[in-house]
Amino acid sequence: MEKKELPTVVKKKISSDRCVMTGKGNWYFPLSDIYETPDNFIILIDMPGASIENINIDLQDNELVVNGEVSQEAYTDEKVIYNEYNIGHYHRHFVISDAVNRDKIEAKMSDGVLSLILPKAEHVKPRKIEVKAE
Amino acid sequence: MGLIKWEKPDPLDNLTHIQREMSDLFDFLSSTPQMEGYVDVEYPPIIVSMNEESVFVRAELPGIKVSDLDIQVVNDILTIKGERKLTLDPAKISYLRRERDYGTFARSIVLPEKVDAEKVTASYKNGVLTVNLPTAPESKPRQVVIKKS
Repeated sequence: MEKKELPTVVKKKISSDRCVMTGKGNWYFPLSDIYETPDNFIILIDMPGASIENINIDLQDNELVVNGEVSQEAYTDEKVIYNEYNIGHYHRHFVISDAVNRDKIEAKMSDGVLSLILPKAEHVKPRKIEVKAE
Repeated sequence: MGLIKWEKPDPLDNLTHIQREMSDLFDFLSSTPQMEGYVDVEYPPIIVSMNEESVFVRAELPGIKVSDLDIQVVNDILTIKGERKLTLDPAKISYLRRERDYGTFARSIVLPEKVDAEKVTASYKNGVLTVNLPTAPESKPRQVVIKKS
């Protein structure tokens, strides 16, 4: 596997002039990867700090909305003396096409990374055509 | 040094870009200090906090195996080393969008207090690393009793 140094991470804040914000705190666009395997589309979303019970995934028509809330409770008795990143909630939405079998979408969370598994609908799955010998 | 993502330029982008620049400028001029946009920070970005007993160093490191992290305390310097691995084989899948970065990293910070290196603990939960460094007894505030003579 290729080796690389120094990952970069930029937290993009969702500014209030782009959309109406409800709820307390700051909201951020979590970074995500989308890739395709023969059977599925998979979305990986980095949501560090969000615990599994604070993640909400909604599917409305063709829009998949992911919200993750992050608790800052751990900091209540502490004084922050140096700060390089902001803590905030996560929001992102994806528009999905008919190529996805919407009834079978699965979600998993591990180590702050949410994986959404979107199975492909039968009609877009690659089909192998066997050549028959006559 | 941070890497900057390259985006394909679009002539129309220039207009929106200027608009954004202007709006950023106005934001900047009318600001309350801007806390956003730590582009050049080292990886991982950290938050250092403390209470009476300990110094806490936290870092957002989503999707890292605990075995790929190496944390050391020497005197009052904390070093966090590790690697965020690409768990997928790019030859077997096809990416449609890629934003999450990977790679090896290492950074050291000088701690604000003397710490008890023996008692340092670290935990990793929901992708956030927390290092708990109890302050050494000699750097805790000591009440001085004034004796009347």
